[in-house]
Amino acid sequence: MNQFERPLSRRQLLRYTAGGLAAAGFAPLVAACGGDKESAGTGDTGTGAAKPGNLKMWWWGEQEAVGIKKWVDDTVAKFKEQQGSTVKATLLDTDAVIPQFTEAAAAGNVPDIQFLFNGIYHMENVWLGYLDPLNDLVDAKVLENSNATQLSVFEGKQYRVGFYPVGFGLSYNKDLFEQAGLDPDSPPEDWDSFVDACDKLKAKGVIPIGGGVKDGYLGEWYLVNTLTQNLDSAQDALSLFIGELDWRDPKYHEHWVKLEELKKAGYFNDDIGSVELYQGIQLYDTGKAAMCFNTTPAIPNSQKQLGAEKVGYMVMPTFGTGSMAGTPITDTQGFGIPSKAADKANAAAFLEFMHSDERVNAMWELSTQIPANKSFDASAIEDPLLKTIDEKWVAGDTNVYIADLMPTLFWTDAMFVNSQKILNGESTGEKAGDVAAEVTAKWKKQNPDLLENYKTWGTDLAEA
Amino acid sequence: MLRTRPWVPYAYLAPAVALIGLVFAYPVARVIDFSMRLIRGDSGPFVGRLNFELVLEDPTFHAALKHSAILLLTVPVLVAIALLVSVLLYDRVRGWRVYRSVFFLPYILAVPVVGIVASYIFTRNGALNDILHQVGLERLAVDWIGSSRYALLTLMIVIVWREVGFGIIVFLARLLTMNEEAIEAARIDGAGWWARLRYIIVPELRGTMEFYAVVAGITMLAWVFAYVFTLTKGGPGTATTVIELYIYNQGLRNSLPGMASAAAVILLAFTTVLITILFWLRARAREEEIA
Repeated sequence: MNQFERPLSRRQLLRYTAGGLAAAGFAPLVAACGGDKESAGTGDTGTGAAKPGNLKMWWWGEQEAVGIKKWVDDTVAKFKEQQGSTVKATLLDTDAVIPQFTEAAAAGNVPDIQFLFNGIYHMENVWLGYLDPLNDLVDAKVLENSNATQLSVFEGKQYRVGFYPVGFGLSYNKDLFEQAGLDPDSPPEDWDSFVDACDKLKAKGVIPIGGGVKDGYLGEWYLVNTLTQNLDSAQDALSLFIGELDWRDPKYHEHWVKLEELKKAGYFNDDIGSVELYQGIQLYDTGKAAMCFNTTPAIPNSQKQLGAEKVGYMVMPTFGTGSMAGTPITDTQGFGIPSKAADKANAAAFLEFMHSDERVNAMWELSTQIPANKSFDASAIEDPLLKTIDEKWVAGDTNVYIADLMPTLFWTDAMFVNSQKILNGESTGEKAGDVAAEVTAKWKKQNPDLLENYKTWGTDLAEA
Repeated sequence: MLRTRPWVPYAYLAPAVALIGLVFAYPVARVIDFSMRLIRGDSGPFVGRLNFELVLEDPTFHAALKHSAILLLTVPVLVAIALLVSVLLYDRVRGWRVYRSVFFLPYILAVPVVGIVASYIFTRNGALNDILHQVGLERLAVDWIGSSRYALLTLMIVIVWREVGFGIIVFLARLLTMNEEAIEAARIDGAGWWARLRYIIVPELRGTMEFYAVVAGITMLAWVFAYVFTLTKGGPGTATTVIELYIYNQGLRNSLPGMASAAAVILLAFTTVLITILFWLRARAREEEIA
């Protein structure tokens, strides 16, 4: 019998199977890191009327601004009705928003319209050439009115139009405040009153602050609400993230020291380390926690669950001494047009359509979400809290959301790690400053080319 | 004997070789290429061994490497549990077919489903701690996934719970094809359950156990991402960060595919060495058997 005729023995089969599985085991790893460049159409460019087309849009927002899908669906339907173009809108998962677009752009297989978080979350794609500036595509008035913020601008070009604004702060339960002897109409503004309020709520058997840090986003919101207080400008934040200011300086890690104090005093739910951000918010929405870090688009949903009369919203009480302390913080979610989009003209037309007066007002009517557009007629808002939110967080003077300037390595290796370890009682605010300094140095070493872009961006911000 | 031209066998092999090349060799070559470049987008300048140096000096990679190595400790646990359960089922305990399905059931559940369900069970105020409180064992009710001290252990428990079903079925399948005469003879000669297991069943299962150990080892090194991502996301801090998550974070979150590829190459090398050692041991054992 020659070797080609010999049947495969059981052991050989096992060995070959194991070898095959070994190779297969690496397939996902190599596939994740591989990828190949595919050719893609350059697409139509320029403004003006376009023939009806079939657009693809990848979007996000329903997770945060509950109900906004209704407006998106309605806008897609009306756009087809009025302009003849179809839009296939795909709602993305939170974790997919950033990597999915970058991967798709590298492969040249992009949608026509892409949802973009602000700042660095789309700016790295700008630096890679994956996004087109909108100045030559979208009407200048739409660009200006949509409040996309200065963090969407690089070297004078704007890369996003706004979708809806997101104001950051603390939701509080007016009923529970009253029960604890606190004035529900004047929430704490400074740190001592805040700690005092937490004490009183805790004494009443209520969880003062509900939260979940397992997925890390609470750590980001906390950092933005508190670190901002010791900064004088957005450029300060950028300088910290690229190592031109030092995290070991007490004022730059004071926010983590304060977090340690809150943790040690027992003001958070005991399972904060093992639940996620929105599970923590749910403690507030179900009346189990008196406060939670939250965003303005979530307020209507809280009002539905708790009752509108119980829901209050405040700016994070201050301990910091920077010029930015005490001012509301607002970010804007937005959309952009990928460089390799197949139909840029219709994509631009859709973005303009989103910002038509009728659509802007429809966002409020259909979804109870405040649109990112200065032309919005705020008199339509009757709810007193939402009216205040519009006045303070949308139309008023606001700070930018400094996490938009944070390199993602800082997110994974410093912010995520520090907030979890402090809230688990495994680290201190001071040690957190050391970790942040080390991670910043590491980021600079790993990304020497991005450093230059950051510096240019910093100059843009300083001049803005 | 049928004679053919020398190139004919190669021609038959060519499609398979081309397919394997396309599916495995090309991506591996690309990863190795990426590992020596500062990738931005889909390419970048050649930087030699810089990415490897950056990875090897990164404390997060050290933590990931340590945790991946610790996960390998589950391999003997998996083998031991799979062996024990499969032997008990082989003894045809009453309802053994039902038990066989019950033990295999977790293995057919998608890992993300297991991870998400487990994350609800193991939260500080989750089902497990509720039960512990109800039976008076509140001292054991710890923060299973929210504490750095227990999170990796919890992850290992969940992995073992799901993965052991495959081992049980593989071992049982081998046992059911075994010649029972030797076991019966040993039984007649007075050999107890333990003696039969040690001197007859385990030697018979040796090849299967080695195969399963290799597969389980590869799983621990290169297939646990979904468990980690859904159960702990690598935290608290870096307490459950494994090499796969490190590769994901560097490649997709931190926009450093070059470093991600360098870490993947290190993992590939590490696993290849491991598999080679295991195959070498297997070959040596086989030679000893023949001798």
